[in-house]
Amino acid sequence: MNASDTRDWMRRFFAAFDREQQALTDLDRRSGDGDFGANLRFALGRARTALENTASATPGDVLDTVATAFLHTGGTSGPLFGMWFRQLAKATRAETIGVAELARGFADATATVQRLGGARPGDKTMVDAMVPASEALAGASGSLDEALDAAAAAARSGAEATADLLAKRGRASYVGEVARGVLDPGAVTVALLVEAARTR
Amino acid sequence: MTRRQFVNDPDHVVPEALEGLVLAHPGLLRLHPDPAYVTRAKPAPGKVAVVSGGGSGHEPLHTGFVGAGMLDAAVPGAVFASPTALQVAAATTAVDTGQGVLQIVKNYTGDVLNFRIAAEIATDHGTAVDQILVDDDLASERADGEGPGRRGTAAVVVVEKLCGALAEQGADLPELVRFGRALVADARSMGIALAAGAHPGDRAPAWELADDEVELGVGIHGERGIGQRAFAPAEELTAELLGRLVAALGLDRGDGVLVVVNSLGATHGLELALVHRAVHRQLAGRGIDVARSLVGPYVTSLDMAGLSITLVRADDARVALWDAPVRTPALTW
Repeated sequence: MNASDTRDWMRRFFAAFDREQQALTDLDRRSGDGDFGANLRFALGRARTALENTASATPGDVLDTVATAFLHTGGTSGPLFGMWFRQLAKATRAETIGVAELARGFADATATVQRLGGARPGDKTMVDAMVPASEALAGASGSLDEALDAAAAAARSGAEATADLLAKRGRASYVGEVARGVLDPGAVTVALLVEAARTR
Repeated sequence: MTRRQFVNDPDHVVPEALEGLVLAHPGLLRLHPDPAYVTRAKPAPGKVAVVSGGGSGHEPLHTGFVGAGMLDAAVPGAVFASPTALQVAAATTAVDTGQGVLQIVKNYTGDVLNFRIAAEIATDHGTAVDQILVDDDLASERADGEGPGRRGTAAVVVVEKLCGALAEQGADLPELVRFGRALVADARSMGIALAAGAHPGDRAPAWELADDEVELGVGIHGERGIGQRAFAPAEELTAELLGRLVAALGLDRGDGVLVVVNSLGATHGLELALVHRAVHRQLAGRGIDVARSLVGPYVTSLDMAGLSITLVRADDARVALWDAPVRTPALTW
């Protein structure tokens, strides 16, 4: 995966988020305060513009640009995604990266989000999709395509599983049982992000 | 009851107000518009820089406390929303003169997260950063210690004043952090409201109270408190707050305190002074000495009608730092 592939990955992610934005906002209305979609749309709009106007030599450069856009947003989900991208960028500074760099980057990025946000798996947050995706990459032995397939499937099933969880962190923790049965929008966004990394 | 405000566009309230503030104090303040933060007009080299910030709607907090003897920079977010991590990081690196930066953060999830991220980014840029978390609001304390912990409210002014003075005297970052954390541990506040405030552009207050009720334990973001009690003379309402604060700090006969009687926005100076008299008399009755007091609108919650009382344990060192010179838009002596 080189800088150009990483740009394509981000473009696919932006498009997927645009498609799902209304559904994500609806999820947040039922479990949080309804500003998730708007905050992230702002971040993605900024990222899109910045990517068009910035030259990037490595995947890490592309991811840094996206990180900065997210760190310009308010709330808590935007900055946490920003730090996820920022940490992944630190592990992907080579011109071309493979499964090993991605696996290490996902592991570091996920650990950073957990450290800053304080959420553990099972707390009904974005971490519930990040951790399985990271573990799938770490356990992958085949090609990059196969590893990304496994990571995408793991992120998606992690996101789906948040429906049954009771929130312990984030906005949904204020409404408790009311949000049971509702997918966590942060975890669903992670699934969209990891699915967008696939090229086939 | 309909509320009206002096607003052009509700989305532009914060940047327009920042411009107006800095225009009023050109000798004291400089505005950096994007990302938005306010610094001293004359940077102070050779000392640890002190930075604070948080949501807008609490004016004069924090921008009104930028100046000699207090803050080096303040970072305002949108109304009642944390500033972004990059805003805080930009302000933090801008005011570092090589001695490091002390961040004073009120304990709210968004502020804590964005200041922590900002500290990491500034550290990556070679700036030494440490933080003091202010969590003085007694009403948000939970017996089981679960949840986000006590909120940060009016004690933040005392923390900014004393830490600002100590930094001005040349204290290093570890000493400031030690001093500030001990100070926060000795500070408690509690608020009481007669009427909720309204957001800029909103025609109605966030909630309504019956004429014979007051809201006890309100925070500074328009949220409801911990419950209602009967409206009563000021002496009795003061006693309600003071009794809890004295017990929480374990104050005893012979102890001294710094007192802040703070308007939450709409409560008038006449009423504040009257309540301060009650605080003085009641503390005297308990044998507690009021070393210094601050009475006025310092940490507001838009136009909420109400006030908060803050008590901070005092000793000679803290009183001397309180008395040290300060020159900011909202606090000068």
